[in-house]
Amino acid sequence: MHAGTESLLDQHIVLDHGTGARLSRELVEFVVDVLGDVYTGEMEDSAVLPISVGNIAMTTDSFVVDPPVFGNGDIGKIAICGTVNDLAVVGAQPLYLTLAMILETGLPIGVLHRVLVSVRETAIEAGVKIVAGDTKVVGAGEADGIFLNTTGIGVFHEKPKRMTDVRVGDRIIVSGPIGNHTIHLLSVREGLGFEQRVVSDCAPLNGMIDALRSKVPAEAVRSMRDVTRGGLSAVLHEYSSALDRTLRIEESALPIDHETRMAADMLGIDPINAANEGCLALFVAAEDADSVLEALHSHPYGTRAVVVGEVTDRPGKAVEMLGADGRLREIEELQGAELPRLC
Amino acid sequence: MSKIAVLTNDLQADLINKNQERFDAVEAATPAFSAFLHAMRERGHHIIHLQLINLPDDPIAERYDGVLPVQKGTEGAAIVPAFLADGDILLEKNKDSGFYETDLHERLQDLGVETVVITGMQSQICVQTTAADAFFRGYSVWVPSDCVVSAREQDTVRALEWMDGYCANIASSVEIIEILDSGKDLPRKEFLVP
Repeated sequence: MHAGTESLLDQHIVLDHGTGARLSRELVEFVVDVLGDVYTGEMEDSAVLPISVGNIAMTTDSFVVDPPVFGNGDIGKIAICGTVNDLAVVGAQPLYLTLAMILETGLPIGVLHRVLVSVRETAIEAGVKIVAGDTKVVGAGEADGIFLNTTGIGVFHEKPKRMTDVRVGDRIIVSGPIGNHTIHLLSVREGLGFEQRVVSDCAPLNGMIDALRSKVPAEAVRSMRDVTRGGLSAVLHEYSSALDRTLRIEESALPIDHETRMAADMLGIDPINAANEGCLALFVAAEDADSVLEALHSHPYGTRAVVVGEVTDRPGKAVEMLGADGRLREIEELQGAELPRLC
Repeated sequence: MSKIAVLTNDLQADLINKNQERFDAVEAATPAFSAFLHAMRERGHHIIHLQLINLPDDPIAERYDGVLPVQKGTEGAAIVPAFLADGDILLEKNKDSGFYETDLHERLQDLGVETVVITGMQSQICVQTTAADAFFRGYSVWVPSDCVVSAREQDTVRALEWMDGYCANIASSVEIIEILDSGKDLPRKEFLVP
């Protein structure tokens, strides 16, 4: 770390960090120093990037998670993972990300440092570069500490994966436990006592998808989606609507940790509606489900992957769940009761 | 030294007087509740009052008509006298669970406590989260059903059901005293994790 960077660590963000003058320049140098080799920007108005001919994937997302720093992660990690995962699930290799920050006056620069370190470490794990950035500062009360936006570009080495490629009879696989991210954050916010037992699942999943790609035929996985806001329920409803087919899952198959179920019962939350940050829903050809599971299990982020249901041949935009009691019930799509600021 | 500690939650005037329902619920529970605390003191068990202190810069802390209750050093933040006695331990907390960013666990360990009896207000928030947190940290958890209160009775019923299913023994305060007076320890309830 440079001396200039170190000297900022015990300071706070002030409006002049965003006015384009000397303090702005020092803050930008701080950011660049912390990001290290992950940042490839050249302080031009645009990044000029090599890219292969053909389709690219491009996505953008903003991050307002509250609190910005939690037990096993922070907004920086989420901002990289969210965009990397959005690129990876359509079958792209994530390459380049931008990083835009809105900082509230009074934010401790030590917090910003932690967030940037997470950005750097997560970008290294995901194999992406930060190619451009922006920093804006607003007054106290005009934001809440730190908001981020990341835009990502990826390239395809195979046909893009789309929802409409899913077929009747395809199995639905979930790559890991659901609900943990939501329960962790709510517990940190309110001091509920679950925050040490239930940690966020936030992770870049492109490595797991690469491992899967190397072990099963490309056509085995018809389509993928990262299970974020709205939870597994929202993903299943999206697919059901796109396919006009009823999806059926089994309650007993859902990977839900005991402590997560405890907290969810207490809070009146159904884990199937809870946001995650490191979980995939995969729609897989039935004959390839076992080999996909085996491949997922071989990766640290997929050790608890499990088949939770299938695409039925019945027309209709519906998601139904076979309960542990043997009764079938329809899972309603949330109308807006989702908990805010989980990513 | 006793291996049992009674933890009370939020027995503070600002919180009790928030509305008539809370006041009435605490008033109704006070005879049995204070008698239980007295009986536990007499038998040499620790009494620890978890005192909620709202921090002025906590944006999540609930305001009553724009006023932040139970601020440090205020009269409304003090433990009400009906539940307090010489020798009781006071421990400040800033969130629902008494363990959250406090040294409660370390203090219980120093005292050699293995069993916590969790009481106070409200059943479905501070009592329930402190019970879960205690369970996760390896304590045997008991909750006297007549020494926990909520503004709404159904919240206490639901919280007791939840704790009974996941992390705590539920019994009346009289039953707990009877077990202790029979010379037995309060037994640990085993919960099977599926």
